[in-house]
Amino acid sequence: MDILDKSLLQNPGYMAQRVAACELEIQKGMIGQREIIRQVMIAMLTGGNVLLEGMPGLGKTRLVSTIAKVFDLSFKRIQFTPDLMPSDVTGTNIIIKNERGSVFSFERGPVFANLVLADEINRATPKTQSALLEAMQEHTVTVGNDSHVLAEPFLVLATQNPIENEGTYPLPEAQLDRFMFKILVRFPSKEELRGIVELTEGMQSPDIQRQLDAQGLLSARALVSQIPIADAVMDYLLEVVMATHTPNTHIREGASPRAAQAMIRAARAKAFLEGRFNVSFQDVKEMAYPVLRHRILLSFDAISEGVNEDQIIQRILEDKKI
Amino acid sequence: MGQRELIRIIRSFQRRLNIADVIQKSIMALYVGAGVGILFQAAAFVVPFYDAALYSVLALLVALLTAVLTAFVKRTSMRQTALVMDRFGFEERIVTAYENIGQEGALIEFQRDDAMSQLSLYRDRIRIPLFPSWKKMVLLLVLLSVMPVLALLPSAVKERAKELHAVRQEAREKTKEIEELVDSLEEFAQQDLSQEHKAALQEMIERLESSQMECEQAVSSEQLTAASNKLEYKYGTMGSELAALAQQLQNGASVSTMTPESMQALAEKMQTMGGMELAEGDSMQSGSNQNGQSGNGSQNDQNGGQDGAGSPNGQNGNGGQDGQSGAGGQNGQNGDGSQDGQNGDGGQNGQNGQNGDKSQGGQQGDGRGTGSSNTPHDYVSIPNDIADTENLTGNAVNHEDSTYFRAQNGLSWEGVHMSHEAVLGNYEQKAYEGIAAGRYPSGMEEVIKQYFSSFNQ
Repeated sequence: MDILDKSLLQNPGYMAQRVAACELEIQKGMIGQREIIRQVMIAMLTGGNVLLEGMPGLGKTRLVSTIAKVFDLSFKRIQFTPDLMPSDVTGTNIIIKNERGSVFSFERGPVFANLVLADEINRATPKTQSALLEAMQEHTVTVGNDSHVLAEPFLVLATQNPIENEGTYPLPEAQLDRFMFKILVRFPSKEELRGIVELTEGMQSPDIQRQLDAQGLLSARALVSQIPIADAVMDYLLEVVMATHTPNTHIREGASPRAAQAMIRAARAKAFLEGRFNVSFQDVKEMAYPVLRHRILLSFDAISEGVNEDQIIQRILEDKKI
Repeated sequence: MGQRELIRIIRSFQRRLNIADVIQKSIMALYVGAGVGILFQAAAFVVPFYDAALYSVLALLVALLTAVLTAFVKRTSMRQTALVMDRFGFEERIVTAYENIGQEGALIEFQRDDAMSQLSLYRDRIRIPLFPSWKKMVLLLVLLSVMPVLALLPSAVKERAKELHAVRQEAREKTKEIEELVDSLEEFAQQDLSQEHKAALQEMIERLESSQMECEQAVSSEQLTAASNKLEYKYGTMGSELAALAQQLQNGASVSTMTPESMQALAEKMQTMGGMELAEGDSMQSGSNQNGQSGNGSQNDQNGGQDGAGSPNGQNGNGGQDGQSGAGGQNGQNGDGSQDGQNGDGGQNGQNGQNGDKSQGGQQGDGRGTGSSNTPHDYVSIPNDIADTENLTGNAVNHEDSTYFRAQNGLSWEGVHMSHEAVLGNYEQKAYEGIAAGRYPSGMEEVIKQYFSSFNQ
């Protein structure tokens, strides 16, 4: 709150402007990928974890580091490998000798940061993947008999490579459900690629300024959570989620209640980022894809017919008339 | 202030939406109504459908009424209005602000202000047309104008429908008339009568019901005429039978269980009934085959009756020009009944004939007396020179005893020769009566009908 007057938090318009400034600042360090930036910003404003799926070298790490700079947050990167142990993520008790003798002391792992980038999360064993479960859901880490609270805001951004499947451990459904968004990072266009090359290979790196601190982000979150939703919009949102549970030859299992919660939060944050203080039908529609795509389990028919999650969501949205 | 203004704006659009809804639903209903009406009109060219025009108009009216009622019941609420307004680029700002009216908080107020500012800037975007496009209106007018055009176009099927309608209407009247008579007869049958009388009444009911069915099943004027002819004959027959039954009840001859008062009341009832039937039967017969007989006026009837009672002229009355003397002797109603009816005359005159025997006109009274029998009458044509003689007591051919003769047959007309058509009509009635009573093999009924109908063509 060093750069923000607390009284300004009572002014939602001003807060919206500050958050919009953050987004613009992130865009300075990232060429293209505006949709990805918008969705990560939404996750930041709602406290949701993000699973980024895309080829290596698309700027995922850069995105996270830029966000950390803009929001003045601590940032840790964990490269997930098959031999990575849970304690490598969460930390462990070590014996420390001092004047009173030997005592156990908890050595914090890389998960103790505001922003954690879990790179190639599907390369670690399920045991290690599960080490993140508690941190992602409860924002605490339990080692031995002690639970350690993570600093707020806490956000996990995990990445996975969609192509290299050999030697990987697909995330279980329970863990996937903990991710608010699954964002598909697509390859940039030629113009965007030119911008990326010029930015990264140039002599001058962009000057990224801090726009909001952790407390400001938490205040913005509190504001976003109060944005009203009209009954009709809420009904529509719930119907979309329920539609994943209606008989459908392409769906083996529908979305969990967490999906509805995530969609509500995401729609609110999107409206906030657009300078609105109400949720629209369009907000719900746009947030349905990143929220639902990893929560729908495809049936054998869908896999054999080449139907993916986004196509199913599109059909659901087309079927549900406002 | 902002809340009131918001409500005021939404309400103004709500009013417009409701009006537009009524208009558009009405137009849609007129489309449907006109479509159904055109179907009715088209059907009238294929199948006989007399009320096609009426049903077409009814379809339009029902559709229109349904539309107005539906529009009223499902009228747009304020919330729905806000949602409709939001469709014009307001991104659910208005409905959210409306739902949060009355609530407080920085964010709520900010949202409301945002909605109001958007409304003030872009209110012109909200366009709620009251009427559909001119193309739809033109199409509706075309549909509505096709209906009367189709209704006015003539066709053979429509003519047939008209005829069928007239037949059915007449059949309904006949049916209703028969039902009333059946009800009356059933009332009589429930009285304290002997089994014989009840059986007779039941037979009458069955005969009437048979005619009722024929009338109901008639699908052409020819069939209805034939059924009517049969019915008229039955009226005549049953009138005389009822009158005879009434007389028996009045005399107390065949009934032992009824009190004299109730017997008398029943007799009067049945006499009234018989008189009505006679009148109807006679009038129908006079309209068909036996006009010559019904030529006697009511005054003559009464006179005849009076004559029969107190003067030699009573013979003339009995002589049976009209058979009214007997009727006149009883009462005016019988006189009316006997004006035209052949059989009715017979029954009533028989009563008078008895009276006449006691007083004056014995011969004539006897002549009527034979008519009072329940047996069907034969039709006898007696030349004038025979009828004018005062010794009309026996069979002119066989010189049989007059009593025997009266017992077997009854009615005779003074100097009347029945025409071929009358005789044919009588045979036809008899034949239909037999069909109604089930006297002929089922396979022969159509043959008989065709035979007699061939004379009418």
